[in-house]
Amino acid sequence: MLDIIREERVKHGMKRIMRVRVVNGALSGAVSDALSFGWECLTQEGDLQGVVLEVVDAPLTVTCGSCGLPFTPEDKHYMPCPACEEILGHDITGGKELYIDEIEADIDDTPESGEAAAAAAPHTGD
Amino acid sequence: MGKTVTIVRNVLEANERRAGKLTEYFAAGKILCLNLMSSPGAGKTSLLERTLTDLKGEFKMAVIEGDLQTDNDARRVAATGAQAVQVNTEGGCHLDSSMIEDAIGVLDMKDLDILFIENVGNLVCPAEFNLGEDHKVSILSVTEGDDKPEKYPLMFHLSSVMLLNKTDLLPYVDFSLEAASAHARKLNKDIEIFPVACRKGDGLDAWYDWLRKARAAKK
Repeated sequence: MLDIIREERVKHGMKRIMRVRVVNGALSGAVSDALSFGWECLTQEGDLQGVVLEVVDAPLTVTCGSCGLPFTPEDKHYMPCPACEEILGHDITGGKELYIDEIEADIDDTPESGEAAAAAAPHTGD
Repeated sequence: MGKTVTIVRNVLEANERRAGKLTEYFAAGKILCLNLMSSPGAGKTSLLERTLTDLKGEFKMAVIEGDLQTDNDARRVAATGAQAVQVNTEGGCHLDSSMIEDAIGVLDMKDLDILFIENVGNLVCPAEFNLGEDHKVSILSVTEGDDKPEKYPLMFHLSSVMLLNKTDLLPYVDFSLEAASAHARKLNKDIEIFPVACRKGDGLDAWYDWLRKARAAKK
């Protein structure tokens, strides 16, 4: 996650990052509190010190495997369809995602300097 | 007040990209790749020992063994005559695609029919990391309790096959094959379920038939 943020900082010529927003789906396997705690530990010092991490929880959404109704189950394991009460075979349409949504930063608006910074920056790995 | 830039990049993208390359590599070589996952001690290595021995004459097979420490499993698997390479994660709780890339560099992949990846024993993290495999296979032993698919849903949701191992111990434990199967099917209606006892060799024919079909589909 930090690698992606550093790549984007160079790409967009960001001078100082204020806030990073991450979207975390209910089924992503990552625990939002743990993400926040990890962020706190990793940004105590260094180039991302003081950057605020905003974690947005994305709900689990499915379409019923029987009647096709899209719905948002209350429970992650037992999901009766509100229309036909089918509990099996639903397709998951949302909730598996874990991605960096946006970054708020002071940006160097002169395009040349942004590109120059990108060209001068070392490769940050993948 | 700063400017907001929309990014939308998957946090696990580095792994996904490498997994995609591995998928292409396995497709080009017509190699069936299976990612075996379970908790520690459920019988992944025992299943492999049996499978590698019983299907020795039929397929050319190799194994990537993932463990935190030791090469015990690679030695057990190599004793069957199959190629095996050990990956030690040195504390890491799962294998990722870069480790698989390194491991296939060590193996002789020529004319290989099936590559088994034995993941680190863990019901949680291995499910998060695609390794370019064709199928995920989960193994649940009857001593662990039949509610595991409910407690650790992602692994069973993503698996094509669930093997219920150590059925020879069923008389001694409170484990319902029906309950475990129902829980798994609730998460994944198409999952294939095979009750087996690797120690005795019970039920393995159904698993071997599935392997033959999956292998044939890859040709």
